[in-house]
Amino acid sequence: MAAQARRRSLVLRRIVATPAPDPGAPNLEAAVLPETGRAPGGGWRRHLGSLAFLTPAGIWLLVIVGYPLIGTIRDSFYNNDSTKLVGLGNYKTLFSTADILVTFRNNVIWVIVFPFLVTFLGLLFAVLTERVRWATAFKTIIFMPIAFSATASALVWNSIMSIDPHVGMLNASIETVDDWFNAPGLYPVNASAGQTVASLAATGLRPGPGATLESTATVAPGQTLKLGMIGISPATLQLVGAEKAVVPPAASGAVSGVVWRDFSPSHPAVRGVVFPDEDGIAGLHLSLLSSNGSSVASTVTDAHGAFSFSSLSTGSYRVEVVANNFASGFTGIYWLSGTQSLTPTSGLSQTAQALLSVPLVDLSMITAYLWIWAGFAMVIIGAGLAALNREVLEAARIDGATEWQTFRRVTMPMLAPVLIVVLVTMIINVLKIFDIIVNMAPSVSQANTLAVAMYDFGYASSPSANGLASAIAVILFILVVPVIYINLRRIR
Amino acid sequence: MARVVLKDLTKRYAGGNLAVDRLNLEVADGEFVCLVGPSGCGKTTALRMIAGLEDISSGEVSIGDKVVNMLPPRDRDIALVFQSYALYPHMSVYDNMAFGLKLRKTPKADIERSVREAARILDLERFLDRKPGQLSGGQRQRVALGRAIVREPAVFLMDEPLSNLDAKLRVQTRAEIARLHQRLQATMIYVTHDQVEAMTMADRIAVISDGVLQQVGTPKQLYEEPCNRFVAGFIGSPSMNFVELKVQREDGMRLVCEGTQVVLDDAMAAQLRDLGLEAATVGVRPEHLRVGEPEGPGLRVSATVDVVEFLGNDALIHAAAEGRDVVAIVGADIHLAVGDAVILSAAPRHVYLFEPQSEMSLGAR
Amino acid sequence: MSVAEAAGLAIPVRRRRLSIHFRPSRLVLNVVLVLVAIFWLVPTISLTVISFRPEGLFGISGWWTVLTAPSQLTIQNYETLLSTGFATGGILDSLVTTAAITVPATILVTVLSSLAAYSLVFGRWRGRTAVFLVIVALLVVPVQVALIPVAQLYDAFGNLTGLKLFGSLPGVIIFHVAFGLPFGVFLMRNFYTGIPKDLLEAGRIDGAGEWTLFRRVVMPLGLPAAASLAIFQFIWVWNDLLVGLVFLGGNPHHTLTIFLFSQTRTLAANYWVISTGAMISIIVPLAIFFSFQRYFVRGVLAGAVK
Repeated sequence: MAAQARRRSLVLRRIVATPAPDPGAPNLEAAVLPETGRAPGGGWRRHLGSLAFLTPAGIWLLVIVGYPLIGTIRDSFYNNDSTKLVGLGNYKTLFSTADILVTFRNNVIWVIVFPFLVTFLGLLFAVLTERVRWATAFKTIIFMPIAFSATASALVWNSIMSIDPHVGMLNASIETVDDWFNAPGLYPVNASAGQTVASLAATGLRPGPGATLESTATVAPGQTLKLGMIGISPATLQLVGAEKAVVPPAASGAVSGVVWRDFSPSHPAVRGVVFPDEDGIAGLHLSLLSSNGSSVASTVTDAHGAFSFSSLSTGSYRVEVVANNFASGFTGIYWLSGTQSLTPTSGLSQTAQALLSVPLVDLSMITAYLWIWAGFAMVIIGAGLAALNREVLEAARIDGATEWQTFRRVTMPMLAPVLIVVLVTMIINVLKIFDIIVNMAPSVSQANTLAVAMYDFGYASSPSANGLASAIAVILFILVVPVIYINLRRIR
Repeated sequence: MARVVLKDLTKRYAGGNLAVDRLNLEVADGEFVCLVGPSGCGKTTALRMIAGLEDISSGEVSIGDKVVNMLPPRDRDIALVFQSYALYPHMSVYDNMAFGLKLRKTPKADIERSVREAARILDLERFLDRKPGQLSGGQRQRVALGRAIVREPAVFLMDEPLSNLDAKLRVQTRAEIARLHQRLQATMIYVTHDQVEAMTMADRIAVISDGVLQQVGTPKQLYEEPCNRFVAGFIGSPSMNFVELKVQREDGMRLVCEGTQVVLDDAMAAQLRDLGLEAATVGVRPEHLRVGEPEGPGLRVSATVDVVEFLGNDALIHAAAEGRDVVAIVGADIHLAVGDAVILSAAPRHVYLFEPQSEMSLGAR
Repeated sequence: MSVAEAAGLAIPVRRRRLSIHFRPSRLVLNVVLVLVAIFWLVPTISLTVISFRPEGLFGISGWWTVLTAPSQLTIQNYETLLSTGFATGGILDSLVTTAAITVPATILVTVLSSLAAYSLVFGRWRGRTAVFLVIVALLVVPVQVALIPVAQLYDAFGNLTGLKLFGSLPGVIIFHVAFGLPFGVFLMRNFYTGIPKDLLEAGRIDGAGEWTLFRRVVMPLGLPAAASLAIFQFIWVWNDLLVGLVFLGGNPHHTLTIFLFSQTRTLAANYWVISTGAMISIIVPLAIFFSFQRYFVRGVLAGAVK
């Protein structure tokens, strides 16, 4: 593993600095030709020769990058079909349109959140794998997603973050955990869809306290009750194994009865009669309330909807259908919602709300993007770590530093240049983020970024708005200018 | 101040590779001991085990009568000067030296005093605000020493601290370290592959080869009474000449080979006879060879001069004796030219005999 | 004995295990890393499994139920998707289109970058440094700045010559090459500067021309860097969406990413098509990633500025 790490550090040094000269290669003394001297025998043709090698790339860059850069800057000062000079008009439009401002907000969220998170993850993985034997395998696993297109990755994460717990693994996991604490009933009532427990009562039932139903009549031991419910689908009943409703016989000392689906296809308008084509409501949790309202016994209906509370002392009772029968359980979080915001901003003006809210979808997409790029950060930082002088770290230990002090006060400062490279690279990367957004966020959403807006203006709208699109491109360009400056300084 | 005791110190790497094999060594309080041996002999590994940077496979390290096997480096009261100096590149010279004290929560004024004092001793006062990157090799080396000094450790450990310096600076710094040892009177364990460094600085030298301790002794002992062929060859520059000779019993005891013969004195002869050896390895140092026939018993080589290297006061002669290269240092006043036939001789007390199999010195038996 | 020591090398940077007093936490560390690794693998596994489950099961039960009922797995999706063969706009057609863009773009970038880097390093003309700095500046220029003018340029070129570049594969390739070049030149130049100039001087004395020197001396030496560049560029172009989307315009042939993108944008997104298509789209870059991981890592390390 040590050899491997060294190789990796060598790789870094080699690529960034110089290749190792081939030892087998002939190595004439440099004195043969003075370094700056003109070649003997005049070689303008030779100068031309090597200059010619640059020509294809040079022309290519001039025509496809250089000229268009100027063209874009020019276009950004013209109207949308490039016929009229509008000065800074396009920029004014951009900075005063609410939708575009939201776009800027998203870029800001990406640029602030993502680079730091990915650098942190990369650093964490790079440091932790220093101490395990299977580091190479781990690194390969983390690094692999970089070979995927952002499009494919976005689609994978779309399914993982699907709102439907039958599709989305994330919601399914939450559902599983949620069910431990908050088991759904057999007959969930979806409150968010406007259903109420009270609407289920048909015969002999009335809404009780909380989300319960209770018998309208009080009963004494030896009597039977017929409790009818509606609004429960035959499919649900079939799923729980319900059968034809049967009214149990009365028994002394016991309150018995039936809970059934009080809707007969043959007699659709008749309530309160148990017809042969009506099913019992199976598996329903019931509770027997004494006259003071406290629960004295509980039972569960059988497949025919029949129930019985036996060995009761005399008195008057009510039967209650308890609330957890109707608990709806977990219905899924809409991770990719462009409207759900993590920062409640009610009370602010609409524009301020739009600008200050952090849509959930942004964070979901950032998560997916982390999955793609953490390996990249890890590999670069890992190479930086491997290139550190081990003896310096040992010196810190000799000097009395603990593991954490060594990391914090020696490793981190020495690693800082590498961390900055990762950070800057990732900032440039997310500045123009496009693929993930168009593939993950809902079509019309608050999640657009500048690159997406530019694409929409330039190509997806008709007629295209070249002026606005160019202005966005120029803004993107201006944002990378500091990085160009940094790079140039570093190279020199 | 403390003494250091190594008891059966062993380092076995995964894969069974023995880097250090049952090393036993006692370093007295205030003593300067050099661990010397060729590259890869395990001396650095041994030092790192003392420092606590390397796991101890078996055996014991005690510092100041306390077994420190399980103690982390910071609790061992040691300082280590690294081969690469290992200065913190992001800290100034001052901070480099102060770092260890800061970690120990030493009061600021005390830190200031210690660092200034060390800087004064090492002539670093002008550089305290600089970063290591702005210093020359020799200055960095002194900062590394300073970092060790300010901590006032019981034991100084040094891992080839001079190997990255050029020849002239090395000689200077060598003297500086020796002076430092005098001044601090601290226990020092110094690792080097350069026997000259060891010979000039150490109170005692431990010669290690292939992870095994060969001999411990004062420089003089090692030079005069090497216990085996390895030590004899390693200590001294240029190296000792060796030649395999057969025992001939007629006409008194003598060892012969074509072109070379050793007439043994009585003591040597008796020893060889007792051992019943048929052959022996003979060693003689270049500086003990002189031109001319031996006076009485001793070694005699007849050879042809191959190369003459003029050194100033004397000359280094490479001579071929029946295909074997013999090196001798002779006075510059003796004029020899390439191709000259020459007789070289040495007195019996300068002739070392080794068992050809075990390579042990017969004198040491 | 460290390797460096055994080899008799005085390498000051020795790599040794950092800590020796860290045993109990090793287990915790390993467990944590295993969990992270599993977490990282889940998306890939889920994509794979979904692509091998019957279309009808999607939305009924999660892909993870395959753990208890592996019999769900079927290659039916692949059969259906591939059954259209190379019909225009189908997955295989997209695969071919993507390859037809990626391969030439990769070769062109590698060759042109090598040539330009040679000129920048071994040429004797003035202003080499300036040109190199311009190229460094271009490294981080976003493609967005060129999209609209290049499209106009293509149109103008088409009107002039009758050769349609907008909406054609060459148009996409030309654009990809242009934005691959700065990085390519940067990487190759950095590598070439490490080749001793003496080597070329020796060749010149032997009478070799520039082309021969490039072909026989510099190019073979620079092969590892060229491989890194080619692999990096290949994966980059293969996975591109935006450039293809813009410059393929109304072309009925799609790249794989456009194929997937257009599937998600249809109202009733067919997840079985998407997942199976995504699987097919990642096979090639994944194969390249695993076969040439070392070169790829080099490319990534060298491209840390992109």
